[in-house]
Amino acid sequence: MATTSSSASSSRSLPRRAAIVGANRIPFARSNGAYARASNQDMLTAALDGLVARFGMAGEHVGEVVSGAVLKKSSDFNLTREAVLGSRLAAATPTYDVQQACGTSLQTTLLIANKIALGQIEVGIAAGVDTTSDAPIEVNEGLRSVLLAANRAKSTAGILKALSGLRPGQIVPEIPANREPRTGMSMGEHAAQTAAAWQISRRAQDEIAAASHQNLAKAYDRGFFDDLVTPYLGLTKDNNLRADSTVEGLAKLKPVFKPAGYPDTEATMTAANSTPLTDGAATVLLASDEWAAERGLPVLAHFVDAETSAVDYVHGGEGLLMAPAYAVPRMLERNGLTLQDFDFYEFHEAFASTILATFAAWEDPIFCKEKLGRDEPLGSIDRSKLNVVGSSLATGHPFAATGARIVPTLAKLLHEKGSGRGLISICAAGGQGVVAILEA
Amino acid sequence: MAVETLDGPPTLGLLYGRALLTARSGGATLPDRRLDLPGVRIDADAVADYAHVCGFGVGGVVPPTYPHMLAFPLQMRLMTDREFPLPAPGMVHLRNVITQARPPEVGEPLRVAVHADRLAAHPKGAQVDLVTAVVDQDDAEIWGSRSTYFVRGAPAPEGADGADGVPAAPPEPDPHVGRLPHAIWTVPGDIGRRYAAVSGDVNPIHVNGLAAKAFGMPGVIAHGMWTKARALAALAGRHGPAFTVDVVFRAPVRAPSKAYFHTAAVDGGWDAKLVSTKGKDHLLLTLRDA
Repeated sequence: MATTSSSASSSRSLPRRAAIVGANRIPFARSNGAYARASNQDMLTAALDGLVARFGMAGEHVGEVVSGAVLKKSSDFNLTREAVLGSRLAAATPTYDVQQACGTSLQTTLLIANKIALGQIEVGIAAGVDTTSDAPIEVNEGLRSVLLAANRAKSTAGILKALSGLRPGQIVPEIPANREPRTGMSMGEHAAQTAAAWQISRRAQDEIAAASHQNLAKAYDRGFFDDLVTPYLGLTKDNNLRADSTVEGLAKLKPVFKPAGYPDTEATMTAANSTPLTDGAATVLLASDEWAAERGLPVLAHFVDAETSAVDYVHGGEGLLMAPAYAVPRMLERNGLTLQDFDFYEFHEAFASTILATFAAWEDPIFCKEKLGRDEPLGSIDRSKLNVVGSSLATGHPFAATGARIVPTLAKLLHEKGSGRGLISICAAGGQGVVAILEA
Repeated sequence: MAVETLDGPPTLGLLYGRALLTARSGGATLPDRRLDLPGVRIDADAVADYAHVCGFGVGGVVPPTYPHMLAFPLQMRLMTDREFPLPAPGMVHLRNVITQARPPEVGEPLRVAVHADRLAAHPKGAQVDLVTAVVDQDDAEIWGSRSTYFVRGAPAPEGADGADGVPAAPPEPDPHVGRLPHAIWTVPGDIGRRYAAVSGDVNPIHVNGLAAKAFGMPGVIAHGMWTKARALAALAGRHGPAFTVDVVFRAPVRAPSKAYFHTAAVDGGWDAKLVSTKGKDHLLLTLRDA
């Protein structure tokens, strides 16, 4: 199958394809646990230094490093630059920060891959990091406006007048919440509505969750992550992993997210089939084939194409996390591929129900006709090729780090197989999605 | 109708004080006069304060509910007159229809004109309409609104229904929305105070729990015009500059509380509903582009 479309892909005539050479991440840790004292900068620096050590790049001047975090303190305005300055990379390595919610580090991978493809750089590092433990806390909005007014005041009297607006209640800080600003609904509440709309069963969700844990555990056991993960702060593997997860065991958990507007629909989403808040950082090393060859480094896979999409979820036009359902068909079309032309499917499990709703949409002739304008549905995927070494439900999901976890995972799977093609799909807050194709 | 031209905006705190303390004579008919306030200029800072409380962006068009801030002191001035047939404290907003021909600009000279009509019986008391026109320098009405206020237990005026020669109210808006809420509102406990601070509408039912109960409310309730403003803020950027937005206020929105906001894009505009978590209608809205 992997051979059917190379002509179609190459007809897009990019100057060259970026190679995924390797990667490094730190184990992901559940919120307020092992990494409670570590900052975004600490974790990103650790992940970068692990990558530098693995590929002997100490003192190396890399084309650029692009990273980002979703939950970011204002003092971290130059997060990636600060991490690089504290790492063993050459201090002259340029950087910038990107933030696209959960799509961040698939987007940073795309940015690096495009610059390599255009010949603007030979090598780059895409990364992402997030902490939900060392989260930025903002002062109360009331206190903030009083302090800003005092700051704007030009006279002592003006400052005093502004400060007279201080009230005891303003001491209560604001902690970032996982809510969509325009809907007031948490991501879980949005996902619960989508799950109810597509009638995704509790059992189907628990099957995805159990498989994710079992696959991740097996992958660790066979050493799959030995050259992808470096221990950090006492962790050697993701501490959200429950190797003994079974569908029967998960069925005992109480559901947490009720679908608003579906009073008669039973809640199906639990702490196990929803990703937990997690801390962690991940990096990917991308380069031109020539750069890798000069150093005798393997090319795990090539970055073929990517698509970013968004849906209007604000007034119910589409589910918050359904953007990939639109991005994938567009990308397939451009590359002359079908949904079935893949050896691996790496789908970010924001919620088990999210990927199940996406699959259901692609199997639904009405959705495919009305929303995608296709005469035929995209059809089903072979589930035995889905998240074969586990995904976010088992590893956890430090928002901005997930793309940089998935890209090397898929690249290594393709490299192990020797040839083939894989599809990556990540949904993101704000109704966005990033999807990509890798080939070996 | 006689026109009384004012030198400056009435002070709302004084008007409420007068309304609470002065013995009313409570005439049987509406005052046959219009209050005019010329030379009004919308202040950018005041709009920013209002936008922060209601959820509008700052620096774009003036929020379509903002001119109500210019009209409200005049409405109160009319309604707190000794001879006005209904008492102002405890008044409840039942309906508000805004027709905007174009958004007003910050700083442009405007004239605000307010009069009362359609004094009518209500199954539980009496109601009255306060009509506002915002007129630009070319004498064009760029913004108009009709607010219907209700007073529980007020004596129904004799033969007042339609007696003033004003046609009866058009049918209430009938929004058609899906059963799925597209947003969950968290109504802050202090929203009555915060909206009172930017609007001057210090009606006790919005700022004090005991007072609210004294007026038959379950507790402090959010201003109806705040819920309308917030609903329109959610539709910002999705309708044209000229439109009519008709809202009826049903069950009061308690502060604090949560509520479900339903929206639907329809031919020529939007339908929306704000519904309590128990399924009671709070607000019914239709917006139709002109």
